[in-house]
Parts: sequence; C-alpha cells; structure tokens
Amino acid sequence: MKPILDVKGLTRIHGKSCDGCLAATGPKVGGNQCPHCGSIVACADVSFQLMEGEILGIIGESGSGKSTVIRLLYMLDQALAGGALLHGGEESAIDLMALNRAQARQLRDRHMGIVHQNPRLGLNYQISAGGNIAERLLMSGNRRYHDIRRIASELLVRTEVPVSRMDDFPGTFSGGMQQRVQIAKALSTRPRLLLLDEVTTGLDLSVQARILDLILELQRELGISMIVVTHDLGVIRLLASRTLVMKTGRIVESGLTDQVLQDPQHAYTQQLVASAL
Amino acid sequence: MNTAKRKIPFGFIDDQAKREIRRSILKAIAIPGYQTPYSSREMPMARGFGTGGLQLTLSLVGRQDVVKVIDQGSDDSVNAVNIRQFVQDVCEGVQTTLRTQEASLIQTRHRIPEVPLREDQVLVFQVPYPDSLVIVESNEATRKCMHGEGDYSRLLVKLYEDMVHFKKITLSHRYPTQIHTHYVIDPSPIPRYDVPRLHQAPNLFLFGAGREKKIYAVPPYTEARPLVLDDIPFEVEDFTHPETGDRYCCEVCGSDRSFLEEFKQADGGSVWQCSDTDFCASMLEAAEAAEGVI
Ligand SMILES: Nc1ncnc2c1ncn2[C@@H]1O[C@H](COP(=O)(O)OP(=O)(O)O)[C@@H](O)[C@H]1O
Ligand SMILES: [Mg+2]
Ligand SMILES: [Zn+2]
Repeated sequence: MKPILDVKGLTRIHGKSCDGCLAATGPKVGGNQCPHCGSIVACADVSFQLMEGEILGIIGESGSGKSTVIRLLYMLDQALAGGALLHGGEESAIDLMALNRAQARQLRDRHMGIVHQNPRLGLNYQISAGGNIAERLLMSGNRRYHDIRRIASELLVRTEVPVSRMDDFPGTFSGGMQQRVQIAKALSTRPRLLLLDEVTTGLDLSVQARILDLILELQRELGISMIVVTHDLGVIRLLASRTLVMKTGRIVESGLTDQVLQDPQHAYTQQLVASAL
Repeated sequence: MNTAKRKIPFGFIDDQAKREIRRSILKAIAIPGYQTPYSSREMPMARGFGTGGLQLTLSLVGRQDVVKVIDQGSDDSVNAVNIRQFVQDVCEGVQTTLRTQEASLIQTRHRIPEVPLREDQVLVFQVPYPDSLVIVESNEATRKCMHGEGDYSRLLVKLYEDMVHFKKITLSHRYPTQIHTHYVIDPSPIPRYDVPRLHQAPNLFLFGAGREKKIYAVPPYTEARPLVLDDIPFEVEDFTHPETGDRYCCEVCGSDRSFLEEFKQADGGSVWQCSDTDFCASMLEAAEAAEGVI
C-alpha cells in the first residue's frame, strides 16, 4: 500500500507562544495550556501516514485537538510548524502547509472534501441543496448548467437524499439529510481525500448507522482515502482500519484499530475503552 | 483669516489631488478591472450624484477637450445638465457638446452611447456600487481575497440558482463582467445590451465610484465578457414583439437597432423611444435631410 498523505510534526498554538509551551503541556502534564505564556497548544508534533483507500480514525476526548488537525489538513488554518505531503497520482507530492491561499483553494476544490459536524459550517443555507453541490463543481471549473444538474442529482441519489428535494433549501432538511447533502457536496469533485469531523455526532442512532454504512460503501466503491474524527469508539470500530488516539493535542497511541481497542497500551486509551464498555 | 475669495483652480480640484487621481487611473488601466482605491474629494454636490465620475472627468479634462455629459442616454436630464454646467463653470475654455462624435471626454450614467466610440475618446462612468461581489458577500476583506484569487464561483452559483428558481438569469443591470480573463467588475447599471459593447472597444472606459472611493478601467481593445454558465447563453434585452416577432422601432426617429425605452400609454399600449437622445436626434436629422434632397 502506498501512502497518500505523510503528516510530520503538525503543530498549532493559539496565543503568542513561548519556548516553554511544548515542554509544559501534553499528556504527561495533563493539560494543553502553557503555564508560562497562557497559550493553548491545540496540537503538537502530530505525525502519521494515511494509505491509499484507507480509513484512518482519530479518537480523543473533546478538546484533544482532533478538529484542529482536520482544519490544518484542509488548510482552513495555518500551522505553526510541520508539514503534510499529499502524494498525487502523476504529480509530485505537495506540501499542504506550504501553499498560498489560491493554491490551497484550488487543491482543496479539486482533490479534497470535508464534512463538518455542524452542517452550518459546510453548507450555505441561502442556496438550494443542489446549489451547494453546484458551488463546488463551479469552483473546480465545471460551468455547464446541465452537467451540474445531472451530477448533483446522481450524487443525491447516491447519498439517499430524495432528488425531489434538490431545489429546496438545506434549512428545511432533517439533520441526517443535511449531513448527506454535505457528503454529496464533498464527493462532487471525486476527491482523493475525504475528511470527516464527527459527522454522526448528535444524530439519532438509526440515522447514524445509515450514514456510517454509506461512508463504508463509498470507501469500497470509490476507494477514497478518509480520515474519520470522532469521540465515539463505536464509529472507530466500524469504520477505521487504523486508529490514532489523541490527548491534550498529542498522539498518545496508534495502531490497528482492533489492537488499540483490545489491548490499549496507554493509560488514557485504557480508560477510554473501559468507560465505553 | 484671509477674506479674499479663493480662486477656484481650473477643473475645480487642485493639482495635487488631480495628480493623485491620475496616478490611480494609471494603475487602474495597468490592472484591467481592478478596483483601485483613491482618496475621494469633497465635491459641491452630494455623493451619489456622480461625484466619482465627475472627479475622473475633472482630473482628465484639458482646455482642448470637448465634454459631453449623459444620464441614462439623455443629455437633457437635470443631472446631466447640472454636471455639464458645472464643468463649464470650473473649466474655463472647455467646450461642451451634445454630439457623441464631437466629444473627446464623455461622462455617463447607466448607458454607453449608441454610436461606437473611437480610440481618441474616453468614456467615464458614474458608479454607485463598484464591487460585483457585494451581491454574494457582505464582508469587504473577504471580497478582496475573492477578487485576488479570481474566485467568482459564488456569482456563478447565483446564476445557477436563478436558473433553478426562475428558469432564467434575473440579473439585468450591473451584469457581472470579467475583464481580461481575471477581475469581474460591476459595469455600473448599464443594460445588458451595453455589456458586449465593452468588449475589445477602441476607446478607454473608466469607472469612478465616489462613495466607495474606487476607480477601475477597461482599457482599449480589452476582453470583457459577461459571466455566464457555458450552456446558458448571455441574452440582451429583447425588443421584439412577442407575437409578430418584429423588432420595435423608435417612435421618434424610426430606428430599429438602438436600445429602446418603453413608455406605457393610457390605453394600455406602449410606445418605444431611443434611450440615447443624441443618436435619436441624429437619425431624425439624417432622415429629414434625405427627405429634403428629394
Ligand atoms: N480559535 C481558538 N482559540 C483558542 N483556542 C482554541 C481555538 N480553537 C480551538 N482551541 C482550543 O484548542 C484545543 C483543541 O481544540 P479542537 O481541535 O477543536 O478539539 P477537538 O476537536 O478534539 O474537540 C481546545 O483546547 C480548544 O479550546
Ligand atoms: Mg472537534
Ligand atoms: Zn430614436
């Protein structure tokens, strides 16, 4: 298996930061706020690989830095340090952390997709569901109205949103359906990398199950590489072949999901698994 | 305090300010479609009455110039008359005209003259809203980034949504127009009919927004394309009779190729007239001259 993404030393600190930030925070200390300067170490020295076609899980309690990693990889925020090489098919690898705004936008529009926990972050409620999908297609350079209509309706069929609702506004949809529209939008440009941040959190269990099924099907059919962020062990168990465990902005444990769950090494993971039983 | 009446400089604006505005004009020409900021001066009329266009006109005008001022195609509207009078008052020796062909500098509101302009003519637009992106983004800093990146996908989404909800593009005046394959401008509230006339024109177009303190330009022989979806053709105003398919003619001069304004009649019918009053008058004169010959 070839890696699609090589992440090395990703670090993001909120606040002015000082020389002592990294040593004075982390799992051993048990906090992410630097006692010297008050800065928040949202994530530090995060390194991992994502393989082609793989679903990688990131689990950790609220505030452990999961969304920070996702936002850095989607280039919504700037890293203080670190790199993330995206390996392309024919092209040479691109460091996501070294792109300017315009380059980031282009790459994101063509090769990446994101689904947020809160659909308000991922969807524009002023335009129709189809318009949300259209926006992404238009960004990636497809300007043919009839093409866009066809692709959008196919995607809605695929994500099990009634096509009859295509021209309605997302605000009139149920929570589960809004997530499906987000997924359809993310898939519209056939991304190689899909980032999913707590996409089922807050939904009814039956709705959750169907969306998780959809994600698995998409991975099998389209071979998209995915990073799935969650604080729910059940989601990780179902979706992810490998898992990273995060605490106070650091990766404390990583490995095959089955091993991590059956034989957790780090005390924090043990606690996490025990509390879920 | 000096009680002597200050002498009003030629062109009303002082030389220092003119130079500043001209520098912004040069920058605007060098970066076609880019909204160049400038420090807008106080003018003896309310902003919103063409102060942006007027400052461009007054910064450019020289004694050899012949100035024409039009408002929605008409030389006779109060606004046009006032501005023309003001130019006459503060630019000693400068001639004004109603004739498009005679003018070297034309200030306009909401129309491009019907007669194609030449290389030696400059058209200055009065602009109420300079930014084509305001209809989709309220934050100016974000709009600047979008312009910089040439990211106009949200305007295209607006076209998509129009097609979905109305089965046609509802944008009519101020149609977003892409200049030299990058910046999308608000061409001021000209009708769609005038938009293709910005494309590869021999003359310079300058746009001045006084309230927003912006100047932008479409230089001569520059690409200017209305923003469209590839398979939905851009359409200009339709002056054909829905049943007969004949094009309406101007009631005054008989022209069947000019941009027309509709005047509803008491009997429910409509009368159509050229919006460009100079063009209409010229057509009429030509027709009368031809009759005289016979
Ligand atoms: N804009 C911000 N300013 C300051 N602190 C922030 C900001 N965004 C996130 N944080 C902090 O960074 C840490 C990691 O946040 P986040 O990545 O959202 O965690 P998670 O997604 O795992 O819940 C948290 O302590 C959070 O409070
Ligand atoms: Mg989060
Ligand atoms: Zn006429």
